[in-house]
Amino acid sequence: MKKYLVILTLSVTTLFVGCSDQLDRFPVDQLVEATAYNTVEDLQFGLNGVIGNYDSGYIIGMSSIFTDNTHLGQDNGGQDRGLHEQILNADTGGFTFAGRLWESRYSLINQMNRLFAAASTITPASGEEDTYNNILAQNYAFRALAHYDLLLYYGLDFTNDAALGVPYVDYVSADATPGRNTVGEVLAGIQNDLDQALALFPAGTSDINFATPDFVTFLRARIALESGDNIGAVGFCTSLIADYPLANTSQYFDMFNEDANKTEVVFNYDNVQGADYGINFYWNFSGQGPKFEISRELYDLYEDDDIRKTVILDPASDEPANRLVIGKYPINADTQAINDFKAMRISEMYLTRAEAYAKQSQFGLAAADVLAVQTARRASTPPPVEFNSVLGAVEAIIAERRLELAFEGHRYTDIKRVRAITGEGIERFEDLGDCGGSIPCSLPSSSPKFILPIPTGELNGNPVIREQQAPGY
Amino acid sequence: MKLKLTWLMTLFMAFVMQLSFAQEKTVTGTVTSATDGLPLPGVSVIVKGTSRGVQTDFDGNYSIKASTGETLVFSFVGMKTSEKKVGQSSTLNLAMAEDLAELETVVITGYAGATNSSKITSALATVDAESIEQVPISSVDQMLQGQAAGVNVSTGSGQPGQSATIIIRGRNSLNGDTEPLFIIDGVPVDQDNFRSLNQNDIASMSVLKDAAATAIYGNRGAGGVILITTKTGKKGSGIKVQYRSLYGVSEVPSPRFDVMNASQFLTFQRDMLPGTQLGDSLSDETIAAIAAQSNTKWADILLRQGKTTSHEFSVTTGGENSSSFSSINYFKQEGTTLGSDLKRFSFRNNFNANSADNKLNFSTTLTANYSVSDFVVDAIRGNNTGGQLDNPFIVPYIGMPFLSPYNPDGSINIWGTGPTNTGGSGAYLANGQINYDDVDGFLNTPFIALNTAALGTDQESEVKIVGRIAADYNFAKNLTVGTSFGIDYTNRERLFINPPGSIRSFRTPTDASEFKGTQFESFYRDANFITNVFVRYDNNITEKLNLNAAVFAEYNYANTQIASLQAYGLNPALPGSGAGFTDGNTTEGANGDEYNYVPAVGSSESELALASIFATMDLDYDNRFGLSASIRNDATSRFVENRDGIFWSVSGRWNLDNEAFMENVDWLSTLKLRASYGVVGNQGVGTRYQGSQTVAAGSGYQLGNSYQLGTLIDPAIQWETSNQFNVGLSFGFWQNRLSGELDFYDYLTTDLFAGKLLSTAGTGSSAVTTNVADMSNKGIDLQISYDLLRKSDTNDWSITLNANGNYNKNLVESLPGEFTGTTLRIAEGYSANTWYRVRWAGVNPANGEPLYLDADGNLTNLYDPNNRVYLDKNFDPTYTGGFGADISYKGFALNALFSFQADRWKNNSSLALIEDSSLGSILNLSTSMLNAWTTPGQITDVPSLSYGGLRAAAGDRYLEDASFLRLRNISLSYNVDKKVLEQTNVFTGIRVFVQGTNLMTWTKFRGFDPEGTVASTFFEYPVARTISLGFDLTF
Repeated sequence: MKKYLVILTLSVTTLFVGCSDQLDRFPVDQLVEATAYNTVEDLQFGLNGVIGNYDSGYIIGMSSIFTDNTHLGQDNGGQDRGLHEQILNADTGGFTFAGRLWESRYSLINQMNRLFAAASTITPASGEEDTYNNILAQNYAFRALAHYDLLLYYGLDFTNDAALGVPYVDYVSADATPGRNTVGEVLAGIQNDLDQALALFPAGTSDINFATPDFVTFLRARIALESGDNIGAVGFCTSLIADYPLANTSQYFDMFNEDANKTEVVFNYDNVQGADYGINFYWNFSGQGPKFEISRELYDLYEDDDIRKTVILDPASDEPANRLVIGKYPINADTQAINDFKAMRISEMYLTRAEAYAKQSQFGLAAADVLAVQTARRASTPPPVEFNSVLGAVEAIIAERRLELAFEGHRYTDIKRVRAITGEGIERFEDLGDCGGSIPCSLPSSSPKFILPIPTGELNGNPVIREQQAPGY
Repeated sequence: MKLKLTWLMTLFMAFVMQLSFAQEKTVTGTVTSATDGLPLPGVSVIVKGTSRGVQTDFDGNYSIKASTGETLVFSFVGMKTSEKKVGQSSTLNLAMAEDLAELETVVITGYAGATNSSKITSALATVDAESIEQVPISSVDQMLQGQAAGVNVSTGSGQPGQSATIIIRGRNSLNGDTEPLFIIDGVPVDQDNFRSLNQNDIASMSVLKDAAATAIYGNRGAGGVILITTKTGKKGSGIKVQYRSLYGVSEVPSPRFDVMNASQFLTFQRDMLPGTQLGDSLSDETIAAIAAQSNTKWADILLRQGKTTSHEFSVTTGGENSSSFSSINYFKQEGTTLGSDLKRFSFRNNFNANSADNKLNFSTTLTANYSVSDFVVDAIRGNNTGGQLDNPFIVPYIGMPFLSPYNPDGSINIWGTGPTNTGGSGAYLANGQINYDDVDGFLNTPFIALNTAALGTDQESEVKIVGRIAADYNFAKNLTVGTSFGIDYTNRERLFINPPGSIRSFRTPTDASEFKGTQFESFYRDANFITNVFVRYDNNITEKLNLNAAVFAEYNYANTQIASLQAYGLNPALPGSGAGFTDGNTTEGANGDEYNYVPAVGSSESELALASIFATMDLDYDNRFGLSASIRNDATSRFVENRDGIFWSVSGRWNLDNEAFMENVDWLSTLKLRASYGVVGNQGVGTRYQGSQTVAAGSGYQLGNSYQLGTLIDPAIQWETSNQFNVGLSFGFWQNRLSGELDFYDYLTTDLFAGKLLSTAGTGSSAVTTNVADMSNKGIDLQISYDLLRKSDTNDWSITLNANGNYNKNLVESLPGEFTGTTLRIAEGYSANTWYRVRWAGVNPANGEPLYLDADGNLTNLYDPNNRVYLDKNFDPTYTGGFGADISYKGFALNALFSFQADRWKNNSSLALIEDSSLGSILNLSTSMLNAWTTPGQITDVPSLSYGGLRAAAGDRYLEDASFLRLRNISLSYNVDKKVLEQTNVFTGIRVFVQGTNLMTWTKFRGFDPEGTVASTFFEYPVARTISLGFDLTF
């Protein structure tokens, strides 16, 4: 009996010990983080992931569907209807194609911070330093852009350094619960990242498909305008305007057709087959069945000889029947509607400078910049532009931005930025068929919906920021 | 030695004495079974009060020496022991009656195998072959619906072979595996795929419901375990050949909704619906003319009667030391819509042998199967949502009634008709050419569905092998050693063709590509191995005390490989062949730089290993008290930091019926009290590499190679733990005429996998799935059976009524962040899957506006998500069960089974779509829309159409009670009389039957089928109603 027990114990133990070796199984199809990054090339792969995840979908979608630039499309079967109905609370507000900006940007920032951590363990071999530095510079520049986006949409008051902004995150953590930093702190972080980027860009960095020194200047111009630094804004704009011409009408047409001309583009998000935002499909089903169309109001604002009117309307439209299909990101010859996102164009700098001038009551200079854009866009010579008041000038400049930058992710933040001056929110016109029924026609300028709510998920996971929800939610 | 000799002498003396005093003769006879008249081999025949005894032979014959006046005792397992006095005749035949009390006594439990039911300490339910065999449901797991208390079975699709979702005693996991572990003949198998297996091979299914039975399955047992035992021959039963056949016809259940006909719809468009649409400008005469021309009920076109055919041969053998069961089966079942079917060929061989001294046992089970399934665009298949326009089950809802399904020549139109502004479906331009922009639009839906059904291919062929070899050897007194090796192997190849020229090919690979269509093929291989060794000790320590203990070691290994290819631009002349693929280097476009045909390929592999040691111990005292315990250590490759888990159970029983003080209680035949407590685990969560933080390689910006963080993980992750308490009563009254089991259970799952909420800002993720939540399930199982009439010598009737039911109360005890989900929530303090919606309050008769209740219950005309409340309605049913009757008279038998689920709420998104007036220009709508509010004072439940589509603001308007009562199966059969059979000299049994499956369903749910597995129904493929007939011939 004892003998058997010994044999039994031995054999079970042997079997068990033998099996334990079989339990270390590692993924076949994936890398394990601890061992993934070993070379500068690995870092480049990481950067490709980072920039690939910089998704402007929310900004483009929100700025058109939430605002007065669209009306409900004839083929809409409920897609993003909530956004169009301006239903915005901590639980909703996502865009089908890009979710919410908060999660999108902060997960990207986390990815960038992990890339910095991985980079810190790698020493570039000689000959790889430029590549290595460029990876870091890109990472800094995009981290600045990501924080800027967050501050713009979620910050309580961009113009007040002491106001609550958004968490500034430059670390990797498994359990951090950051509160809002002040606007000033976030801007300091952004400027610091931009400085780092400038210091690291290898000489001659000028590929508009990536961050460049001009990208940095452009972003600084936007920041200056938003934060009320009008003199700064004028300075940044002027330095860029000197280097980039405005596209003429045919160049403008080509810019939005086949991505054939990049004359006035400062930063171009390069969509390619297989790695494409699919911007056209934010508003259109394949075959250009419209989920959302150009609002009648916006369409009617364009003069007939304005190239922008040609560009914005898709050939699948039936204008007399008010079927105004958005065509700014057209099907193209590839039939797949792969279009780059012209994220930074020089015309924006003209209008930014105009606004900065106008806010300083430099009406002549402001009018000149607006006229420059109009002249570039129209076949005939536009009538002279004249401003007499800050209100009148700002209204006219924002109206011009609406025409110039429609469906490029500006309308919502433009209205938001100047609503204190204009007193206007989002107005849609029922008599034009742009709203009615469950689709609201008016969002007052005092609406809390001009600051996005911190999503419920963040509130649930972060007791600190739970106390800092934007007012009105 | 001396003592032995003395005894022998005494015996001899007695024998001699008897010889000298009694008139001895040879008594012969045949023992048969009273139920079927077949001879009974192996019956022991003893002369009472002596040691003289013999056994009946293969033909049931015996021959024994006995004297007149002596009594012969006939005994056999499962039969009532009878005594017969030897009279003048030297022939004594006997028809033995079944011992009903004893028949139900053997049940299959985990690693112990067959165990006498009086010794069971756990909660389990058994389903036997009779209720499974020859039922035209082509997935074994679906068979359990309504059969066992606490076993909730739902099927998500009527696709033949569709696997069911089974939840035992309430949802026990939020994000992990909720289904039980399935074990066929000792081999753990894929719980989601049974379509290749032949259910007629099954002898019994045991459902293990509490820790006493499942703790021995360690970190896979928390959801319960279902043990399937397949058939085997009975030793000494000779050879039996059976041919069985079945023919059936299936159709979809009658829908419980109505859509408009052509005249209603066009009139509605003109008179009621705001906006611009086809009907607006039509006169009554024109509408009448169109409706007379075509008034299509699309359900009639898309749906069909599906046929089922089954042929089976089986051979059962039973020799002295070996037995076997072999079967081959051909089964074909068509679904209720075009292009949906299952064909399979199943083969099985089970073999058992033992040495003459019974010390060595050896067995093999092997089943090899091949099946081919053809799929439609099923709402629950792949990434489908149900909203695909080629989903055949969306068409009966939204297909326009004024479109004709026929070509001028009378054949079915699979393309569509002319421009929409002339009343067509938009498939063609006015000039007769295909309108590529609109041919895949909403209006053309019915034709898209017909086109895909007619031209597309979505097929899976599967080879499935489940087999095991086992041996045990009683190598020393009380000690047995055993080993086994098993495999579950699945090889599945998918072929998906979107052929050039079909509607779905027009945009594939791109709108402008010259060549069209795509072919996708995938290869999936899943192999699961299990090997096990054990030593068992079994001893009667004293006369009354028995100890049975065993120690096991086991190793499971699973390997899954997937490879796939997708090619574009097919040559229509070479369908399905690689020779027809357009070369990936082909370029097109104005600049000749567009690559439209680059094929896609994929390959992946994953592994999972599980090493375990475990032990069991069962103590029995005098058949009155029992104590069982088990303990298992499981180590899994899935987890890294917390790899080893220990699971255990303790259970006991008290067989009151065996107590001396119960001896004189005649009306009580069985009474057993059981109690158990144990800890079981669930490792089935996340990926197979849940413990490792992964980085995914893929493509990023500009299609460059990229590394991106995989889903954030918690490295300390481990299994979910289920703490299970069960107390039960097994009872039988009046010779077990009324018998049953009543169980109360209280389960608490801790360390549940759920999102530990994180700050996205701080960590980049909103949550990490780890062991953070707690959830309980408390409930009652009742299983009861009553023999209203029992067959006897004087009574030809047998009527048994049976019922089972479960009440389950699920409660999320704790959850970080208190809830997850938006309208269907997992929320702390509520049952999992509780609806959280704004309450719809109907229509304001004054102005036709929709009304809601705000959070406080006041009427409001504003839809505001902040007014959502917990509705005390949840998706998982509170009550489940079944009931039925087995009635037989002479050769006739009627068996009926009803199943039910109650207090179960689903959102009817299908109906919401056809009550969305904003879609009234592109899809057909429900007839309820004709009741839309138009005049002040009108009482209606459909708001004024001027409010547009209210689907996004519906609140709980479409939350419907999906409770149902279903006549699951009813069969009427006739067994041809023995005497008739004897005359044939060929058959030993003939049974013919007619049967209805899912014949009737009673429900309030407004759709095709209330069952389903998704909380928001959206055009799922309903489970079929089937009528079948067949026969079994035994030779």
